[in-house]
Amino acid sequence: MPLSTKSSTLHLTSTSGVPAFRPFTCVINPVVLFSILDHYLRRNEGQERVIGTLLGVRSDDGTEVEIRNCFNVPHQENDSEVAVDMEHHRAMFELHQRVNPKEVIVGWYATGSQLNSYSALIQDFYSSEVAPFQAVHLTMDTDLAVKGTQTMGLQTHISAPVGVSAKSGNCMFLPVPCEVRYFDAERSGLEILATAKDSDERTASLLSDMDHLEIAIAKVQEMLERVSQYVQQVLNGKEPANNAIGRYIMDSVSVVPKVDATSFEKMFNSHLQDLLMVVYLANMTRTQLSVAERLNTLV
Amino acid sequence: MATSLPSSEPLHTVQLDGLVVLKIIKHCRESYPVDVTGQLLGLDVDGVLEVTNCFPFPSSDDDEASAQYQLDMMRCLREVNVDNNTVGWYRSAHLGNFMDLNLIDTQYNYQNSLSAQSVVIIHDVSKSAAQGNLSLRAFRLTEAFMKAYEKKTFTTESMIKNKLTLSNIFDELPIQVHNSHLVTALLHDLDSPVADANRLPSLTTFTSTQKTATLAEDNAPLAPNLEVLDLELDPFMQKNLENLLDCADAQQQEHNNYQYWQRSVAREQTKIQAWLTKRKQENAQRAQNGQSLLPEDEVNSLFKLPTEPSRLESMLLNAQIHNFTKQLNQFAGPSLGRLYSVQELQK
Repeated sequence: MPLSTKSSTLHLTSTSGVPAFRPFTCVINPVVLFSILDHYLRRNEGQERVIGTLLGVRSDDGTEVEIRNCFNVPHQENDSEVAVDMEHHRAMFELHQRVNPKEVIVGWYATGSQLNSYSALIQDFYSSEVAPFQAVHLTMDTDLAVKGTQTMGLQTHISAPVGVSAKSGNCMFLPVPCEVRYFDAERSGLEILATAKDSDERTASLLSDMDHLEIAIAKVQEMLERVSQYVQQVLNGKEPANNAIGRYIMDSVSVVPKVDATSFEKMFNSHLQDLLMVVYLANMTRTQLSVAERLNTLV
Repeated sequence: MATSLPSSEPLHTVQLDGLVVLKIIKHCRESYPVDVTGQLLGLDVDGVLEVTNCFPFPSSDDDEASAQYQLDMMRCLREVNVDNNTVGWYRSAHLGNFMDLNLIDTQYNYQNSLSAQSVVIIHDVSKSAAQGNLSLRAFRLTEAFMKAYEKKTFTTESMIKNKLTLSNIFDELPIQVHNSHLVTALLHDLDSPVADANRLPSLTTFTSTQKTATLAEDNAPLAPNLEVLDLELDPFMQKNLENLLDCADAQQQEHNNYQYWQRSVAREQTKIQAWLTKRKQENAQRAQNGQSLLPEDEVNSLFKLPTEPSRLESMLLNAQIHNFTKQLNQFAGPSLGRLYSVQELQK
């Protein structure tokens, strides 16, 4: 990332491919968050923060970066210098490439929310890996020191050169907006994890399908209760009416399709019949199987 | 069985770290529809197998390259203090079609060479997507099956001797999910939804359902997963029934093989009998004439009974069919619940 020496104002150099005025967002996969926390838990004695590499994909015009995976990189940091184990970084990257060739290095992460000069040095190193794009730097506040922030102080930055001279240590970190995005399959996994957070030993067992259905229906019931309570309060005059919410509720209720009774009966019955027939066939096959087992062992 | 730790108890639960669950889901989802495998790392403690990390295998490698990959990966992970102990492997599946020889072979190797406490975790991608409920199951081979597999003979008598039926090939173990403290804090953080009342879009057109879905996801990542209330049952049942039919066809072929063998054995037996009676007659005649008797036990060298084909494949197919039917049954329960609740809504 060549530094411009023409002026001393801070701006992103145009050769990096991401002009300063186009929006640049990061999308993070929840696996990454959990990985980072796990790495932090397993750090060596005396290490205050851990760093690692972020892998992901970039959208075609370079404005959106999706962070999909990460791995830990051992590093030592003391008062005078910082050392990053580059061999390990390269080896791990190669191994990951074999499994998932689409993921490339997009940046690095560090725990702890301070950005000091070592961060700048490491940022430089990663920028050379990620060239010609900007390296994304992600921090997570694992000390839980900053109160009132969402998702444990998760922040992403890209760096910009600052200052007159071209020294690599001078750069400023500009925050970029980031969000955590989920896929459907991961949501069910995340839900199971979330039920674990309420229990004492922080464990939860997997649910069967029926249990899952029961819980979902109970939740819908609870939501309906809350909404009807709110409407009741508004009618009694205890709460100020909010037109937007009222309209939204009315729309939601009207989405329920109102089918006339006879055609609904017909649909219901045919659906039920299909289901029961398949269940009957399945049970018949099972009985056949168990009879066959007994016969086999008798022979 | 080789190399089992002397002081380990038999396993009764498998405990997965939250990280492992998410990684398995991610890897299996990304490589749909190809089946993928990966390795599980952790430790077994007091009868509970704790899995703390995992990594995926590249899918297109031969044995040597993947062994090398494994060694490299373990070495790198050791440097960052990840548990270096292999405790099993995982595999993705689609609608329950995972019971095949490959699975048994690999699991046998794991259980034999690494430790008696290895498990295989099956993640069913299509079922999780269809039902909104995460499908993860943990299996290990039973002792009886391991013994029988060692000898590699699966004749009917050996199966009777070991009391092998389709239901005791695998032991299924219950799975628990465990989180560390930091992760629990993160989950609590994620759970606070923020929806601005003034920015709610209207739902008047059906085409705008897409927007509301993303709005819900943006604001409340841990909002309840209501996919399970979907009424569609055709795709799932159709696929399941198709798989079932395929399995039944394969089973039919196995049966044909077995019957063919039985018939050929019967034919050989009749031939042997005929030969024996002829011999006896000859011997009787010779005894009358005073000649030496011809031996009768040449029969064993002249006629060879064909060997019985292995019943393993057949048993596996049975187990697979059993699995499919069980799935259909399990699917029916919630479906009935859904149907009746919709009926109530209409009233």
